[in-house]
Amino acid sequence: MNPAATPVPVEDVQGDGRWLSMHKRFLLEAKEKEPEVIFIGDSIIQQMSNCEIWSKYFVPMHALNFGISGDQTQHVLWRIENGELEHVNPKVIVVLVGTNNFDFSPEEITEGILEIVRVIREKQPQAYIVLPTLLPRGQNPNPLRERNSKVNKLVSERVTSDSRCEVVAIDKGFVLADGTISHHDMFDYLHLTNLGYQKAFEPVYELLLQLLSEGEKEDDANTISE
Amino acid sequence: MKMVLSQRQREELNKAIADYLSSNGYMGALEAFKKEADMPGEVERKYGGLLEKKWTSVIRLQKKVMELESKLSEAEKEYIEGAPTRGKRSPTEWIPRPPEKHCLTGHRSPVTRVIFHPVFSLMVSASEDATMKVWDFETGDYEKSLKGHTDSVQDVCFDQTGKLLVSCSADMTIKLWDFQNYDCIKTMHGHDHNVSSVTFMPGGDFVISSSRDKTIKMWEVATGYCVKTFTGHREWVRMVRVYQDGSLIASCSNDQTVRVWAVASKECKVELRDHDHVVECIAWAPENASSAINEAAGADNKKGAHVGPFLASGSRDKTIKVWDVGTGMCLFTLVGHDNWVRGVVFHPGGKYIVSASDDKTLRVWDTRNKRCMKILEAHQHFCTSVDFHKTHPYVISGSVDQTVKVWECR
Repeated sequence: MNPAATPVPVEDVQGDGRWLSMHKRFLLEAKEKEPEVIFIGDSIIQQMSNCEIWSKYFVPMHALNFGISGDQTQHVLWRIENGELEHVNPKVIVVLVGTNNFDFSPEEITEGILEIVRVIREKQPQAYIVLPTLLPRGQNPNPLRERNSKVNKLVSERVTSDSRCEVVAIDKGFVLADGTISHHDMFDYLHLTNLGYQKAFEPVYELLLQLLSEGEKEDDANTISE
Repeated sequence: MKMVLSQRQREELNKAIADYLSSNGYMGALEAFKKEADMPGEVERKYGGLLEKKWTSVIRLQKKVMELESKLSEAEKEYIEGAPTRGKRSPTEWIPRPPEKHCLTGHRSPVTRVIFHPVFSLMVSASEDATMKVWDFETGDYEKSLKGHTDSVQDVCFDQTGKLLVSCSADMTIKLWDFQNYDCIKTMHGHDHNVSSVTFMPGGDFVISSSRDKTIKMWEVATGYCVKTFTGHREWVRMVRVYQDGSLIASCSNDQTVRVWAVASKECKVELRDHDHVVECIAWAPENASSAINEAAGADNKKGAHVGPFLASGSRDKTIKVWDVGTGMCLFTLVGHDNWVRGVVFHPGGKYIVSASDDKTLRVWDTRNKRCMKILEAHQHFCTSVDFHKTHPYVISGSVDQTVKVWECR
């Protein structure tokens, strides 16, 4: 059995129960807030909520942020199987997770992501699923970068069958010509700065705009329906 | 004002003074100054005329600042009073204009509803912080907080006298408040979920409420008993409003419909469907709005005129629709908001509709021409609610940014 595709909660090693507290808060928000867009994933998603693009681009879309720092595919899987997508009717669900799956092969991580897509599809058949690609990491070239890009390639190949599931490339433009990643984009060579978020999530924003306005009537200042 | 100079600035000033003394032939003073300031040798060329330059530039800049300030105040005047002046404005024409007269802070969570008191210069705001706050909209003074609900307050309404207030909450209760001493006099239980909206019947003897439990209920004020339940909506009912004569109730819902019910028979008289998303808000048109609505609907000949009653609805599909409830027809649609429409209210003069939206604006719509005639960039975050005073030139708005704003009309 692939542990990356098997739901499991995060073990509370520090002993303050924060992971479960966040999960419970998300359950409450899901019940009360009627989101049109849900972002779910790890710290890259979570930290975006303190960021300029979050308030500027995504809050006006009625988006909720269900990111938890350190989460791996199996943890996100556990959360969505345990209520985070109940009582909601979102138009789009954005999933970004996998970079924290240490000691997993690209194939296993891919399976984990695809399992998340499958469960979301089951719970929210009407929703678009948007999968931003895993970001490169580390100041210099390293095996984790290669692993992430392999995952991106595998996932892109595998989701083509679902017309309501889309991969968005957000990993371009971070690795510079000399093979390094700038701290201006990723301050710790993993997490994004304000500038980095702008770069990475602008394409996601553009896609969401399109998906959300789909089926809307063209702007006609004086529509009269009789 | 005490000015502190850096070492470098002091040296520059000394040199500029030395240059000034030398170029004006105050040689005795120059020698003494050089000695005291410990500044031997010639003064470099670059300090030539520096002191005079600084001296005049301060005056030049002061003048410039004054010019800019007077220009700004002129622009502001133009901006604010470009509309008819206070004396000339007419109650049927006045509309809210920026900037806001008051920005009221105090709520600790998003503001969900704002309403005017029917008699006094007071208003009430309801919030997700579980309180209601009473404010004087003329002075901007905070008066009082009403506490008692244990979750988000969703809606509030005064009876016609303004002596009673009713509120409803996500805590599933409805509370009646004596507005003379601000006491909670009754708490009504009966809904099985979040109570989304509440309103008084015209006589003040009954209250109507709607809920996420998909029902609408009628309560007797004297006893606090639920006397009627209206069922039919397939989803969360967002808002409920009673027609002026008390015979009809309109409600809107997450099921994307607006329904109109006969109070006496509990029967759903008409179902209005044309919105493509959750219908957030509704407002009955006052009698004097009929001619503008008829013109907007293109009914120019007398025999084809729509008789109403008319109802406006605002939706998450970003539009406002105006309906002839008599025939169940959507007469026209107002398109322009860039996000969910959360509040809609008719201008007391009948010619305009004012709306509040998650695009952070308030908009004033010229009903006759189906045109947006004014956009107010009202809040930092979603605008959740708007109310228009029946007789005084004021509009109030509430927002997720936790503020309440008072707008004067001109």
